[in-house]
Amino acid sequence: MSGPFAGFKWLALINDWTVFAGGFVQTILLSALGLMLALGLGIFFGLLGTSHVKLFKILNRVYVEFIQNTPLVIQIFFLYHGLPHLGIMLPVFVVGVLGVGIYHGAYIAEVIRAGVESVPKGQLEAAYSQGFSYWGAMIHIVLPQAKRISYPPLTNQAVNLIKNTSVLAMVAGGELMYYADSWSSTNLYYGPSYVVTGLLYLSLCFPLASFAKRMERKLEVSS
Amino acid sequence: MIEELLQWELLSFLGAGLLTTLQIAISSIVLSMILGTILGIARHSNHTPLSQAASFYVEVVRNTPLLLFILAVRFMTKLPPVYAGIAAMTIFTTAMIAEIVRGGLNSVGKGQWEAAKSQGFTYTQTLIYVVLPQALRNTIPPLVSQFTTVIKDTSLVWAVGIEDLTGKGMIIMGQYGTTAQVFTIFAAIAVTYFVFNYALSILARHQQRRLSLRSY
Amino acid sequence: MKKVHVLILSVMMLIALAVAGCGSTTDSKPAAGKTGTAPEIKAIQDRGTLKVGVKVDVPKFGFKDPKTGQIDGFEIDLTRALAKKILGDEKKFEAQGVTAKTRGPLLDNGEVDLVIATFTITEERKQSYNFSEPYFTDGVALMVKKDSGITDLKGLADKTIGVAQSATSKKAIQEAADKQGIKVKFLEFGTYPEIKTALDSGRINCFSVDGAILYGYLDDTTVILNDRFTPQEYGVASKKANTELAKVVNDTINDMKKSGELDKLMQKWGLK
Repeated sequence: MSGPFAGFKWLALINDWTVFAGGFVQTILLSALGLMLALGLGIFFGLLGTSHVKLFKILNRVYVEFIQNTPLVIQIFFLYHGLPHLGIMLPVFVVGVLGVGIYHGAYIAEVIRAGVESVPKGQLEAAYSQGFSYWGAMIHIVLPQAKRISYPPLTNQAVNLIKNTSVLAMVAGGELMYYADSWSSTNLYYGPSYVVTGLLYLSLCFPLASFAKRMERKLEVSS
Repeated sequence: MIEELLQWELLSFLGAGLLTTLQIAISSIVLSMILGTILGIARHSNHTPLSQAASFYVEVVRNTPLLLFILAVRFMTKLPPVYAGIAAMTIFTTAMIAEIVRGGLNSVGKGQWEAAKSQGFTYTQTLIYVVLPQALRNTIPPLVSQFTTVIKDTSLVWAVGIEDLTGKGMIIMGQYGTTAQVFTIFAAIAVTYFVFNYALSILARHQQRRLSLRSY
Repeated sequence: MKKVHVLILSVMMLIALAVAGCGSTTDSKPAAGKTGTAPEIKAIQDRGTLKVGVKVDVPKFGFKDPKTGQIDGFEIDLTRALAKKILGDEKKFEAQGVTAKTRGPLLDNGEVDLVIATFTITEERKQSYNFSEPYFTDGVALMVKKDSGITDLKGLADKTIGVAQSATSKKAIQEAADKQGIKVKFLEFGTYPEIKTALDSGRINCFSVDGAILYGYLDDTTVILNDRFTPQEYGVASKKANTELAKVVNDTINDMKKSGELDKLMQKWGLK
């Protein structure tokens, strides 16, 4: 048998399982750090978007529109191939964290803004009347309520972020997709490689996505 | 330096890439809208085996990276390059749209179904005349955001050597590699994507406003 | 519970997919030895065109002229000779551009009958495909920036070398580096233009691939070093199951070697 899923190709994969394991660990690290950055950027820019200061609003729009309307591939290519021309040679791992972090930060900013805006204005006013400052009211009154409605879309963003770390494979990123691709293009045993890779991504994303769905359902019930 | 890039040949080379990008994006959007709506309805239905099969498809596909589908379809089917791109994007986007459609159907209150039933509407009639029109309106924002994602994600087909806008740009960059040229090429590609996506989102906002005006 | 269900189901689907993949290939076992034309050759004849994967970015081998859209080169001439042999007409072929990365899979999925695309014969690849006798021998070469001052492989000690995925350059350079007792790092990219871009941006210090391919990327800031590593023998590849087709290809190439036609083609393209 010499089909794309021939037995000896599976054996070869089992032999080289450390290659895939290494890539998988790297994908998890990339996703975790990328998510932290995305959350930081998303909350910061999301709150800028809810502010009444025009300049802040503009900053939010520029970030969100520019990042959301250009491909992640181009952003990552730019960080990887473009920045070195300015003397900034980021390691590929950093390119990955920045790439997915900035990209999904823009989506998270929108989630946060929508979440905050979903809290009735009266809440903020009531907080003011109780002597809360803007930030005090935000942190103690508005954000806790916004959090509830924002959780499901946030989790979905986390799933998308994990999936999108695979784009790093296009710049020799050293994560799961890169090794899967590189391993299978050296020996051409791509069949088993793709199946195993798919299952590994699924094992990360599926629990998160189910979690999001469960929360969504809870929200539907409570509203 | 940058003038070197302003050759008719290079611009038409890049233009051909843009056409490939649009061809793949538009075809897969149309196909996945049809398939995704069917799947979304199936998932929402009370028909258990059907809705389970639909759920299964949606869950597996949307939790796997698109790049993997692009590699797999390109290398495991006999489809010519651009069609392989369209097929992979459609497989993936169908799942995303099915999820959006399901959400839209859920957003239409149970009361609507009951009211329609009391008026003598069948399930299909209720779906087509009562629920879908409302669901569709609710789904316009996520759908459009999905469409922009499709246009952007088309750039992934370059990973299997399909020369879309991104691919053509990178090929040119391989030949014109000075700092100024590299930045010009990046700017040109980014602005092109931006213009198309931004126009799409403005159009959608406009359309949504029109629809909501009509219904209230 | 339901979620576990779906997860199990998804695992099962992927396995089913894998099994289906195995099954489909067992159906297409070669009917060699029977009288008449082998089914794979008959299929090509019925179709009336030979589908070939060629390079479109390697001057002199397979190169698509951006102005005319025509693909031409040594390997295209070889394709013509094979089309003539199999279909009796040297124009009856369809050339599709492939890269180092896509050529193997496209053979497997049957999108092309043959790959004639600077495809180096290796033992590992022979497990997956049939290769003809070599029709050309090239060596892996190194391209560096002129201003790097690097003149040989030793100069690349502890430096990063960019190679194409699926290409044999990595192995060749690794062996040479081991022999010289130096360490080098590798980065793999999907396409040649990206390796060149990475060289221009300074991500990598060297672009390494077969000499013939490197010449297509030479410009006034880069230089190709004189060293050549591990002779790379190019062969025509076909799907493993298509043994009869492989035989026809091999016979044709041997005939061309004997008659001096192959030498003539190499001379035509300035490869000799």
